[in-house]
Amino acid sequence: MTIDTVTLFFALLAVALQLGIALTLLSFLIPSARIALMDAIAPIALLMAAAIAVVSMLGSLYLSEVAKFTPCKLCWYQRTAMYPSAILLVIAAFRGDGTVRRYVLPLVGIGAIISSYHILLERFPNLESGTCDPTNPCSLIWFEKFGFVTIPVMALTAFLAIAGLLSIRRLSSGPTNQQKVVSP
Amino acid sequence: MSTTAPHQGSSKRSVVLIGLALAVVVVIGLVAIAATRNNDKTVSTSATVEMGTVTVNGAVLAPLPDSGPDPSIGAKAPELVGQAFDGAVERITPGSGPMVVMFVAHWCPHCQREVPRISEWVKAGLANGVSLKSVATGTDAELPNYPPSAWLAGEQWAIPTLADNAKTAAANAYGLTSFPYFVALDASGKVTARSSGELTEDQFSKLLATTKS
Repeated sequence: MTIDTVTLFFALLAVALQLGIALTLLSFLIPSARIALMDAIAPIALLMAAAIAVVSMLGSLYLSEVAKFTPCKLCWYQRTAMYPSAILLVIAAFRGDGTVRRYVLPLVGIGAIISSYHILLERFPNLESGTCDPTNPCSLIWFEKFGFVTIPVMALTAFLAIAGLLSIRRLSSGPTNQQKVVSP
Repeated sequence: MSTTAPHQGSSKRSVVLIGLALAVVVVIGLVAIAATRNNDKTVSTSATVEMGTVTVNGAVLAPLPDSGPDPSIGAKAPELVGQAFDGAVERITPGSGPMVVMFVAHWCPHCQREVPRISEWVKAGLANGVSLKSVATGTDAELPNYPPSAWLAGEQWAIPTLADNAKTAAANAYGLTSFPYFVALDASGKVTARSSGELTEDQFSKLLATTKS
């Protein structure tokens, strides 16, 4: 499987997520549709958030370790938001612990802000500086699919999707709230 | 029964949704494989020299400082002898008239923005007697927009270009610290100005003017 195939696969996943986000936002215009959608998603929201975070983490590792796309400074900052989120969300998904949102929402929020700035920098390289450091490519676009999907666009999509899923009110609130621990 | 039925319905719906999501992922994977099955990546032809051999004749220039006076102003720039993309000998010989040497990297977004602008300015006659030379440097087949020969050809880059070697000897000899990079030389081959980063038309004109001062 070529790098082109894998990057297209990730780009298509990102577009699918973007469509999902757009549909969810549209459902807010029709209360009954929104309620039905939330009812459907809520039970698997944690699992979906964990899956998105894990795929994002593995994807970024593929891009750097297999495709040899050197991560830039901003990529590393986004990684520091995504990787712990992936671990926390996997644990939370197994435990059905919705309280994880308290820890993960700030992380993905920061990640989304960095991704947004990274996207701006790709489009307007002069925002940071007018030059490229020969030893550390600055705002270079490693690949671009469909004219807009780049690595930070995919990261932003993942951060927003995770934030949206964790914002669903009826997430499980954790085993401590569901079952009382009885002391012997 | 009445208390468990909604829960069972919810579980069933969850399973359906998870199955649907997995099906979407599988379909996306198949689409990606099908769409890229016959992709031919643009590659450098065997006849094209993307990284040439470079000989530096003369003392190298100091690296361009981030700020403060440039220690290389007034220094004689070294001659560079290497290859053009077609393999022919390409020389950058200071002292053969006013000259500006430009260093660009195929993957650098600033260079990608600057090259078409300079092409336009040169077509419009902005150089006005100043010899223009360029060096394709920082070349790396693993980085985007490779190969530089195809990139520059696509931009109708009519300026003679020397393909730097893998160790960027030409760029190092002229004190490059970042891309794009410009070195202005007077008729005797002495440095009159050096600049890194994108230039506006006015800045480029001023750089050209220094070669005649």
